[in-house]
Amino acid sequence: MFFKRKPMWGKKKKLKSSYDVVIIGGGLHSLATAYFLAKDHGITDVAVLEKNYIGFGGAGRNTAIVRANQRTQYNVPLYKEALDLWPILTKDLDYNLMFNNCGNLNLMHSEAAMTAARMTIATAQFHGVESHLIDAKQAKEMVPALNISEDITFPIHGAMFHPPGGVVRHDAVVWGLARGAAKRGVEIHQETEALGIGIQNGKVTSVTTSRGTINCKQVLISAGGYSASLIHGMLGIKLPISVLTIQAMVTQPVKPLLNHVVSSGAYHAYANQTLKGEIATGAHMDPWPNYTTLTTAHYIKHQAEALSEFLPCLRGLRFMRIWGGLADMTPDMAPIMDGNNQIEGFFMDCGWGYFGFKSCSAVGKYMSEFMAKNECPDILKPFALKRYEEHRLMGETAVVVNYTPDN
Amino acid sequence: MNRFNHLPTLKIDTTQKISFIHKRKKIYGVKGDTIATALFSNGIRIFGRSLKYHRPRGLYSLDGESSNTLMEVDGIPNVRCENTLLKEGMVIKEQNVKGSAENDILGFLDKLDWMMPAGFYYTVMHKPAKLWPIAMKQIRKAAGLGEISPEFKMPGKFDEIFLNTDVCVIGGGPAGMMAAVSAAKKGLRVILMESRPWLGGCFEFRSKEHQNRLSLHERAAQLSKEVESLKNIRVFTHASVVGTYNNNLVTGFQIGKEKDAFDERYIELRAKSVVVATGCTERPLIFDNNERPGVMQAGCALRLAKTYGQLPGKKAVFSIGHDFGLETALELHDLGLSIACIADIRDDGQDPALLKKIADKNILLLKGWVAVKAHGRKVVKQVSLSTIDGSVTRKFSCDLLVASAGMTPVTGPITVAQGKLKYDNHTGFFLPDAMPEKMHAAGRIIGLDDPLSIEASGKLAGLKAAFDCENGSIQEIGQAKKDLENLPGPVRGTKLVTAPVKGRKSFICFDEDATLKNIKQAIAKGFDVPELIKRFTATGLGPGQGGIPGHNLPLYVAKYQALPDISIKPTNVRPPLVPTLISTYAGAGHQMLKITPMDEMQRKDGGVFRNIGVWQRARYFSNDFSCKNEIENVRTNVGMLDGSTLGKFRIFGPDAVKALQRVYVSDMSKVKEGRIKYSAMCTDDGCVIDDGVVVKQGENDFYFTTSTARAGQTAEWIRYHTRYDGWNFAIVNLTDAMGVINISGPNARKVLQKVLDIDLSNEAFGFSEYKEFKIQDTVPVKAMRLGFMGELSYELHVPSSYMKSVWLMIKEAGREFNIQNFGVEAQNVLRMEKCHIILGSESEQRTNLLDVGLGFLWDRNKPEAKTVGAVALRQAEKDQTRLKLVGFKMENNTRAPRDGSLIVDTKVRGYVCTARDSFSLKEAVGMALVEAPLSKIGTRLEIFEDECGNNRIYGMVTQMPFYDPDGKRMKM
Repeated sequence: MFFKRKPMWGKKKKLKSSYDVVIIGGGLHSLATAYFLAKDHGITDVAVLEKNYIGFGGAGRNTAIVRANQRTQYNVPLYKEALDLWPILTKDLDYNLMFNNCGNLNLMHSEAAMTAARMTIATAQFHGVESHLIDAKQAKEMVPALNISEDITFPIHGAMFHPPGGVVRHDAVVWGLARGAAKRGVEIHQETEALGIGIQNGKVTSVTTSRGTINCKQVLISAGGYSASLIHGMLGIKLPISVLTIQAMVTQPVKPLLNHVVSSGAYHAYANQTLKGEIATGAHMDPWPNYTTLTTAHYIKHQAEALSEFLPCLRGLRFMRIWGGLADMTPDMAPIMDGNNQIEGFFMDCGWGYFGFKSCSAVGKYMSEFMAKNECPDILKPFALKRYEEHRLMGETAVVVNYTPDN
Repeated sequence: MNRFNHLPTLKIDTTQKISFIHKRKKIYGVKGDTIATALFSNGIRIFGRSLKYHRPRGLYSLDGESSNTLMEVDGIPNVRCENTLLKEGMVIKEQNVKGSAENDILGFLDKLDWMMPAGFYYTVMHKPAKLWPIAMKQIRKAAGLGEISPEFKMPGKFDEIFLNTDVCVIGGGPAGMMAAVSAAKKGLRVILMESRPWLGGCFEFRSKEHQNRLSLHERAAQLSKEVESLKNIRVFTHASVVGTYNNNLVTGFQIGKEKDAFDERYIELRAKSVVVATGCTERPLIFDNNERPGVMQAGCALRLAKTYGQLPGKKAVFSIGHDFGLETALELHDLGLSIACIADIRDDGQDPALLKKIADKNILLLKGWVAVKAHGRKVVKQVSLSTIDGSVTRKFSCDLLVASAGMTPVTGPITVAQGKLKYDNHTGFFLPDAMPEKMHAAGRIIGLDDPLSIEASGKLAGLKAAFDCENGSIQEIGQAKKDLENLPGPVRGTKLVTAPVKGRKSFICFDEDATLKNIKQAIAKGFDVPELIKRFTATGLGPGQGGIPGHNLPLYVAKYQALPDISIKPTNVRPPLVPTLISTYAGAGHQMLKITPMDEMQRKDGGVFRNIGVWQRARYFSNDFSCKNEIENVRTNVGMLDGSTLGKFRIFGPDAVKALQRVYVSDMSKVKEGRIKYSAMCTDDGCVIDDGVVVKQGENDFYFTTSTARAGQTAEWIRYHTRYDGWNFAIVNLTDAMGVINISGPNARKVLQKVLDIDLSNEAFGFSEYKEFKIQDTVPVKAMRLGFMGELSYELHVPSSYMKSVWLMIKEAGREFNIQNFGVEAQNVLRMEKCHIILGSESEQRTNLLDVGLGFLWDRNKPEAKTVGAVALRQAEKDQTRLKLVGFKMENNTRAPRDGSLIVDTKVRGYVCTARDSFSLKEAVGMALVEAPLSKIGTRLEIFEDECGNNRIYGMVTQMPFYDPDGKRMKM
């Protein structure tokens, strides 16, 4: 009845000798950009190159949380738009992205954290994004499983409650965007590795792949955690990015228990219940740069210790699976989106850290506009690479991020 | 049910009954029973219902590889009943049932499977958009197996141990025991982990001959005796390994026995070498209704009888693909099980001795046949068998179908340690191909089946592990290898994955109710690699951790797509290899916060403590959180503060000054004896990360402080930034070794003078000066005259062990002045009135030295390439768009805005760092970071508070500091 015998993102095709646009990476940002290039700008002669299979990297490894309660005025509008796009995409793609608009509860464990939250909330409210500071008792009313007693390591003072946020089914977004893009003529080439970018007279001319060379005028690298090394390897552009393995895990599934995304900075942990009933949890990163995506013994233990304190009923559940993905962290926890700056026709979209999922829809929309019009939309301007050369960090976090001493 | 009580392999004691509650009824098991075997002995066949279709589910294996027997036990959901020993009074509940497992109202869902093809939820329920939130609620209710209440309090004691060993052997079967013994005999320390409550593995319940008329179970007993006799083998039974990591870090958990002080404990151990001898489980046979209660694996059927003393059924059909299946049939037949038929997948290759026995006992054996369907609405009543090609079919009545396609190695510990597997055409196994460093595999996991070969491989692995520990010789290993090669090698395995069925009700994953049809649907949609199929159909993502679909999924996908053997790759396995309780991982749950030497005394004095960073600190000394009394007391009298959390360091050596020059922005060569130098450190971006004071305490010997938050990173920061210089200096972190008492207020001198016999007059010990002396000839003190609070102030740095004494002396001396404690919040207000910044409050990540007005600290004559951050500071100097720190007062003397409020016009222009209604100044003042154009004195600031709606409040930029602008008070 619902069963169509057609591959969702087209049959395997031969690589053509030229495309208007080549996108390196088969994750969410690439697929979203490809989709919007085709849909909004009529640019359909696009090849998406993926070394593995689509959604192999961060797209399939994140915990699917979406929200728009970032810290600065540059980020909030972008993430707000991303949030607004989920229902629209669900409709346009005709694919159920399973947006669970459950709201996010960000726990605060000190007076200083409450102050920091107040600023973030004011920023959200100033930009028309709903977000409120609530006290511990109100938080407990919303999440009865919370431990608001004083006898835990970091007692809960209150929380930042952000109703418009929630969870989206990440795999559905990958597949839905791939299907939507393919329908409009975009070619998705899996198991196709990009090996180099050809440049003549400061302009992009071609991309060399494991299946031959293709000519193109524009190329976008948006390959998640691998972007920085690809960009450096292919073009020699050094980016201030440290790549770290970030881990997440799920418990065995249980009947509805948590109705919000609950997160805590002090405990380095978030928890939300998936539609399948698993409690998905993660957040902390081991602070040594690596590309391994390996999980570590002490991390899952750390997570258990943290959850045992602020959501003590979870002590009765079992962890079932832990996995790792890459987070490409910039010094200011804000991404790098740039184009036509270093090399004409070369665009990059990277440094998302662990915000890649929640931003993908809006970024696809604006990166495609950037590429189609060859003019940077205002909303993306603050994210250009040159801010680092000018020592103008974005201020997306309050404190200096320190993954390596040289950072 | 009558239980056998005569078998030598039994692990139960039928004389000791244990009562427990199942469905509100009291029933009995016996000592040694697991919950599952106790239920089974009470005739219970349906344990629960499946996730999606609410199909009846029962006992299938005995090692908990599927969710079939997950139940709620004493309020804890998803307990693996097959692995959990029965205890007196346990309350057992069925999961995922509406009604009961026997009669589940939602059982009709099984007929609606056509409505739910693979991934159906992606294509429905989103149109119209309003439908989704309603549908989602129902999906959530339907999903999930067990239930847990938000108020649930986990009972029991949880412990953790961290071990070091030479050799860790995973698996206490014959290979593992041999490995442990051969390594232990070399004098090495060995840890042996076995997930069952006893040693013996696949030998322990079998009567088959080992050699010289010794049975396998007798041999198992022999080996475990030998293991237990060796003092350097530490055996952990009922201990599952859940993770293996780099450099042989092994994690697991152990279930406590009756006498143990814990219910479960987390185990983390580091071994020089690891032997993986985890053996095999059975590869499930896939046919229609292959998970109907009454269908079980051969090992399960045999162990039910031999270990737990109960026959698995009355009349059985066997559909198996290995000699172990034939052996099981014969053993169970001898114990009284009636066998209607044995269908063996194999046309030939059976052990002739077994064939003869089967013929002798007149058991019908069909070679080249397989089960295609189990009949019976709730439990098995009949079985259809057919030839492999599906051409001929026969039906048999039975209440037990023993089904097993073949064996499959338990490779989890190898693959999570990043070992690689390769499909082996002979055995049909994924065999270890590239083992991680210093990890060895032995026993059935490498395809062996012959008992002597299994043991020989264990011995070899033990010797290799010993060699990793630099113990043993190549010759010995060579000999052991030869011995193994002379014994029978791996046996040919069956390749059959599924019976000839369409697959609508043939389950490849029990946990997620995924059928062969679902897999085909996924492949048709373009999800053509096992990892993608896993995601699309959820196969292997259920609570059984993929134990059931495990190796069947890639085999089936390869078969269905007619791929060559070489392309078959197993799907990823992830830790924990066994579902592990969060309380077990959490272990003992120690508090990790630091306390200062004054902790106890300040608590006695009524301190209200807060966690600040890694410390617990007295934030207030009353329930008036505005701290009016504490503040006024410092301004008009004298107060004392515990400042022990400050970072404190000694740096010394011929190149100490150079190191200081590198990280501090000031010219540190100008630190004068007896004088205090205040300076700051920046990042390469010029962002200010730390400030503090430096004093000289001898030739090339300095003492310096950092902010509390930076104490942990400072030594590494300096080391890193001097890493190429080869300078000769040393840093000692004295943060915990020294405590700090701050005495502030106009009466501070009078109080301190009573304790000290040195001259404290302004002339003898002036502002910004440093002195070292001893109190009562005993306590060495470093004293500084600082003015953070804006008052006459002394900071005494005292060895932690003397802190209490000095504190008490000052308190005693201050009694006549009514000296009072003040806490961190009072300090915060006092210093804010003085516009002294606290990094983190008046700065953020992007704030540089110039932004906060500390540019005067920066010595531009220092060679800038040598000062961290100086290049960036020079470049940022002319940037007029940065945020600048300003002081402001509120218009019309209104209240202070809340910290964190925004400074806005049409856009966000900055934010309020700290603002308070100042008692000292009788007005509201504060500091804010604002864009440079707004930083001019007299600029009106529009303040946007959270929840303010359209109501703004206004302030005006004013001169800093607010309090005592000339600084007379701190210099008095």
